Amino acid sequence: MAQTSSLPTSIAGFTPIPVSYSQSSIHILYARAHTGSHKPKSNAKGKNVDLPDARTLFLVNVPVDATERELTLFFKSCGTVERIVFHGEGDGAEVPEEESESEGEGEEGSNAGEDADDTAPEERPRKKRKTGKDAVPQIVPLPSVELRKFRCTGRSAHIIFLDDTSLSRALQQPSRPKPWQIDQSAPMGLSHYRALYDSLRPPLDVVRAHADSYMELFEHEQAKKRQESKYRMGEAVVDEDGFTLVTRGGAYGKTLGGGVGVASKKFQGNTESGGKRARRNKKEKGENDNFYAFQIHEKKRQELIDLKRKWEEDKAKVEKLKQSRKFRPY
Amino acid sequence: MSNLKRKRGTETHKTSPKRRRPGLENVSDAASIPRKQSLEDGVANEEDEYAESEGSVQDGIMEEWSGISEQGKNMEAAGHSGTHTHKPPRGEELRDIKDAADLYRSTSFKLQIDVLLPNIRPKYARSAPLERFLFTLYTFLKDLSPVAPQHPLSASRDLLKKGIAVPYPLPLPTEDTNWKVSFEKPSDILLVGSWAVKMSVKAKDQRRYVADVAVTMPETLFQEKDYMNSRFFHKRAYYLAVIAGAVSNKKSGMDVDVFYESASGDPRLTTLVLRPKHGMLAHTRIRSASHDADQSAVDFTSLNVEVRIMPVLPSSSPIPLQRLSPSRSNIRISSNDAPSPLCNSALLLCTTYKSHMITMHALAESVPAFADALALLRVWANQRGYGVGDRLCMRHFDTRGPWWAAVLELLVNGEESLPGTTFHKTAKRKPLGKGLSSYQLFKAALDLLARHDFEKEHIFVKTNDGHRFPPEDYALHEAVFVDSTSTVNLLAGVPLSALEMLRHDAKMTLDILDHSNLSEDPFDAVFMRDKRDVATRFDIVLRLNLSSAKLRDPNTHASVEHGSAYNALLEHLVSCLYRGLGNRTKAISVLHPAPQARPVSQAHPSNPSTIHVGLLLDTEHAFRLVDHGPTAEEQDSEAAQAFREFWGEKAELRRFKDGSIVESVVWSVSTADERTHIPVHIARHVLARHCGLIGDAVRTWQTQFDSVVRLPESITGIYRTTGAQTGFKAAMSAFDELVRAMKGLDDRIPLAILTVSPIAEALRYTSVHSPVAAPGPVIFALPQFARYVEPMEIVIEFEKSARWPDDLRAIQKIKLAFFEALASALATSIKGLTASVVVGHGAESSDIADQACLEIVTADGWAFRARIWHDREAILLSRLIDDKPHIAPHMKRQREGDPQERQAALSAQEVYQRRFVHAPRHHRAIAALCHSFSAFAGTVRLVKRWFAAHWLLRGHVSVEAVELLCASVFLRSAQSTVEGLGSPGSKERGFALVVELLKDWEWSQGMYIPLYHGTDDGGDKTPAVTVTAGAKTGVWALATELDSGGHVWTSSGPDAIVARRIRALAQATWVALQGMESGSFEAMTLFLHPLEHYDFIIELDPAVLPRYVQNVRADPAIWAQRAKYANTRADAEDVRLCPGFDPAQAFFDDLKRVYKDTFILFYDPLGGDRFGAVWDPSLKAPRPFRALGGFSSEPIRKEGKAKDKDKALVKLNENAILSEIERMGAGLVKNIVIRE
Repeated sequence: MAQTSSLPTSIAGFTPIPVSYSQSSIHILYARAHTGSHKPKSNAKGKNVDLPDARTLFLVNVPVDATERELTLFFKSCGTVERIVFHGEGDGAEVPEEESESEGEGEEGSNAGEDADDTAPEERPRKKRKTGKDAVPQIVPLPSVELRKFRCTGRSAHIIFLDDTSLSRALQQPSRPKPWQIDQSAPMGLSHYRALYDSLRPPLDVVRAHADSYMELFEHEQAKKRQESKYRMGEAVVDEDGFTLVTRGGAYGKTLGGGVGVASKKFQGNTESGGKRARRNKKEKGENDNFYAFQIHEKKRQELIDLKRKWEEDKAKVEKLKQSRKFRPY
Repeated sequence: MSNLKRKRGTETHKTSPKRRRPGLENVSDAASIPRKQSLEDGVANEEDEYAESEGSVQDGIMEEWSGISEQGKNMEAAGHSGTHTHKPPRGEELRDIKDAADLYRSTSFKLQIDVLLPNIRPKYARSAPLERFLFTLYTFLKDLSPVAPQHPLSASRDLLKKGIAVPYPLPLPTEDTNWKVSFEKPSDILLVGSWAVKMSVKAKDQRRYVADVAVTMPETLFQEKDYMNSRFFHKRAYYLAVIAGAVSNKKSGMDVDVFYESASGDPRLTTLVLRPKHGMLAHTRIRSASHDADQSAVDFTSLNVEVRIMPVLPSSSPIPLQRLSPSRSNIRISSNDAPSPLCNSALLLCTTYKSHMITMHALAESVPAFADALALLRVWANQRGYGVGDRLCMRHFDTRGPWWAAVLELLVNGEESLPGTTFHKTAKRKPLGKGLSSYQLFKAALDLLARHDFEKEHIFVKTNDGHRFPPEDYALHEAVFVDSTSTVNLLAGVPLSALEMLRHDAKMTLDILDHSNLSEDPFDAVFMRDKRDVATRFDIVLRLNLSSAKLRDPNTHASVEHGSAYNALLEHLVSCLYRGLGNRTKAISVLHPAPQARPVSQAHPSNPSTIHVGLLLDTEHAFRLVDHGPTAEEQDSEAAQAFREFWGEKAELRRFKDGSIVESVVWSVSTADERTHIPVHIARHVLARHCGLIGDAVRTWQTQFDSVVRLPESITGIYRTTGAQTGFKAAMSAFDELVRAMKGLDDRIPLAILTVSPIAEALRYTSVHSPVAAPGPVIFALPQFARYVEPMEIVIEFEKSARWPDDLRAIQKIKLAFFEALASALATSIKGLTASVVVGHGAESSDIADQACLEIVTADGWAFRARIWHDREAILLSRLIDDKPHIAPHMKRQREGDPQERQAALSAQEVYQRRFVHAPRHHRAIAALCHSFSAFAGTVRLVKRWFAAHWLLRGHVSVEAVELLCASVFLRSAQSTVEGLGSPGSKERGFALVVELLKDWEWSQGMYIPLYHGTDDGGDKTPAVTVTAGAKTGVWALATELDSGGHVWTSSGPDAIVARRIRALAQATWVALQGMESGSFEAMTLFLHPLEHYDFIIELDPAVLPRYVQNVRADPAIWAQRAKYANTRADAEDVRLCPGFDPAQAFFDDLKRVYKDTFILFYDPLGGDRFGAVWDPSLKAPRPFRALGGFSSEPIRKEGKAKDKDKALVKLNENAILSEIERMGAGLVKNIVIRE
């Protein structure tokens, strides 16, 4: 197509890749090789996301409804895609989503759709990883259908190829726009919403199994936390600064699992300042402002001045309204 | 302090004329001379007074703003410049300030009055040309040659040849009339009325000031018997016609246009109106160039004044005044010799002009603030339609000039003590002091109007020389207000219903003055606002086409008495309505255009063929189903016969529960909606029976508004035939039943249910459409686009338990377990009930926020959506947001914890607060309002429909915000002492008031709505709103006692752009509403959305939208399609009940979220079949490429050279976005229309 030739080969270091949606509309993907040193890919939680420099493509302006399969299909000509990491849900910061965490170990299932559509299963891997060992209750997942997830427009993704050569092929600007192939297995539009409606209403027994198993796991974790906790009956908890944590209820209270509470400073502050004010008020009452004649005089004078000031203010206000011709009722 | 006051008292009196009425002493030489000469004999007794005032100040040309500037000058003269605020004020200044503060509502109120007054008065300083013109007129009239007595008909034929019609009133003279009409030059010519005493007040809509000239007809023209059969008026009419002929004659030298004008359309009171000719300016310039330089001096065009000539009766006329007592009959045309009070008082009125003027002048002299107070009162009245203007005016009040002055006179001078009724009356109303300020007098006048019961008590103003007619004589007048000359009842012919409207208006204004807090200035509401809009003023507006009107028993006596058949018809019509509606209404007003001047070739006034009748309902009684009449025992009595005669076939003898058998009228209604139509039904019945107005002759807009909130007949028909339950009452009883069932499950669920609170609009009467149940058979019968069932949201609170986990995620999971238990317990215990757990809601879900709910469909087909309120969540969330609340914010080094998690917690907390804390409270308050104001629910439904139809509801304005807005309209007045005063009695008026509010509301100032009165002391705290330009958050602040910030329901919108758009839409709607006055109004037009401002419109396929049937303009063509696909109905898989399944809404939500920074999306949630969108204009311009730009872009194709990478600019890729939308909405989107 003639249009493609007029595309710049590079824009701020990115290669624009035209994607044809239809005859007339061309979507532009911007691609660049991922550079790990540039942006440290470890977020606050300290979970490393494995993005090998040499075979990772950084893609900007991903179609809002793209599924992994569609992107894989799109880059098939360049090489085999190992996995895809979508970014930028929520506040727009380039922080990998939770689902990417699951990818870190989720090789065995490689169930792309599951991550994309439902929140409930996301719990599973994290909890599992944290608790790790055997004898851990398993969460029965809620049933899931492969559904698309509409991401905010203009977001980015990392595409990790199987081998390095694919990356360079992917960075080649194609001579003509490649068509966007729609994955027919994931419903679109009306059928998407129908499927979503149904998937949000799972059978009752599944809900029950899911909730029960989750709670079982939760209990298990709580028990474990209690074992690991520094807090022991009758022992003081000392934090890194050397302060001792004082808890209400002491050794007998319900202190674990977040139920810790100290007498709030705010409360103390309130009572303190209240007390002070009360005292000051008392003192003020004792003073007599109208003792000397000059005080009375001054006070009266001040009152009159205030009166006049208010008068002038009102006058100025009305004058201003007058300027804006607000006084013609009709 | 006390001696300060004394000093002020004396000095005020001394200086006041200078300050207050600069007009009076500004009589320039030129103006006063001709009057002195011409009107000498008339005002001889006043002449010296004028001369005295003339001597005082000669300011030359007056400034437009005299009030302040003059005072400023005074101050400077006293050695002060107004800027030295640090110095204490001098005595004089102090007096002004104290005056303003003590005698007025507030200082700024006084200053505003001062600025207002010059604007509503004519510029007397420029009246010299008029004075000269009056002088010419005087000499001209004095020189008129007499016309010999002749037969009235031949006299009129003579005049008709000159193109002058004689405005003979009824009964028209006939050929065998045996008296004659003649003309002699006037015995006296006098400038009277408000112009003469310089108290003219500007009329609405640039109508002219009027300078009244009373032309005294010589007594020789009259005979003793002239009071009979309007003979006096015939002579007067001829006299006027002769003057008209003389003045309009080209040779007269009077360069004016001549018209007739009849006050209140009464031909007896026809006057002659002289207006300067159009183009007179240019005309005279040519003339003056030649020789007649004097001519330009009489051009008073710029003064916007007209001269009105009215022939009056000399006090020495042979007509005996005692024959004119209101109880005498002076009409002998049939055997009927009923009294003719109106006729008599019209005659008497012709004798009072001079004395009224003298009284006014005397009052103005003795009461310094009289003129100002009168001006204020008349401005107030004009703004409310009690005066002339281009728009609809209150009938009977177009020419009551003397009455307003007399009201003030009554206040100052007090009442005449009459024998018999004297004692308690005089004790009641004492005359007010003469030193009151204009504001105080004004308020006292309002107080009189608001409190006086004209029906029960007659008013006789204090007279100078005793009372004339005994009070009993006035029994035939509905309202009595006899002037200080004790000759005329100034309220003759004014029905009580009209005065009730006046009373209502006065009450409202007093209420504003007394009860509005100091922060908002009532000045605007009292004097500056035009309050003539029928839509906001009356609960019901009837538009009557009188061209087909025919009285049931036409009565010539009445026609003569009222001056014309038309007037008699109107009076009868009003009295019939008054009787028929009884205490259902608080006031009935007749509105019609102000009387127009007519050419002198037209004898009788042309009466408007359409009039408007405004009803103000008393909601306590208005919707009563039965009217009782006399009992069966008095079957043959006169009262019973009158009752049957009045109601016609509607009257029937009925036996009631208490055993009584009573004549009664029963109005049958089938639905609650129809109950609100009862007053209109009555009005229609009465008008049809007594005035022959049937069918289209009576127009109301109620049914049009009703149809807007109702489903199409074809669908409601299906509901009816299948026996599905519909309506709010049914929904609420279904809810109660469900609650009972749930509470009965205690042993089957782990925790007992403490409370179940509804939070759905359908459970508080305020959803746009009345809720419907959809049991199995109905679902099969309904077409696909009508299968939407709105699940009603309820909140369940379980008893407290220590066994809840202390973890947000676990709480959400345990809620699932609760739901599951509840669902299976309900399903097994109640037959036919189905329940399913909804685990979330798709796209945006956070695992710490409340998201799961239980969907319950009862056996009857009612759908509910239950959520669980667990109060521990609030604590856990706040801990997540701020885990160390005891450390002051500035001492914290940094926020700990994951920012993303914090963000999630914040939004989860917002959802929690709104859903579990505010929503139930809001629900209860709104439901209470629905009970205390019968029109509230209807108003909310209409307003919601309006917001929805303009694609704003839900997407931009939450339903709760709409409810708050409506509540503010109802509560604004309910704050006051008088309960329910001013709160609308019909949903149409409520709607109009909300539109007016939206049009005028400065949302940057926020609004305070005392929704939960009683729970808090309230106070006047309006929320402060800080609006940052282009902010994406809501800018409306609707604060209540329990939400001082005012953003609970408006946090997500409307933003500044949308808020401005709402105001523009409201403005357009307001303009359309005013079409009620011209009759061009159609309610449906208010709900048609203009599309021209959208960049592109996404059209959906209506056939697949389950709510399409709720669309305001659902297309019947879609109905037709249904037949085509009739066979697909058998597809059982497709036809199951999906409560709340609305793909369009889900699609809208997705698009709004996905493209929130790219375009703004609008959509009608009630069955809309189109989305409208506006691109973010800032994205249209090319901008440098950023990896995180957040919008779909395309590089700008450069011509030829693309060498440097830095200038890599991109722009919005509109095409691709539209393609994406089309793909996302496959099956929903029919077409995307791009607009230029």
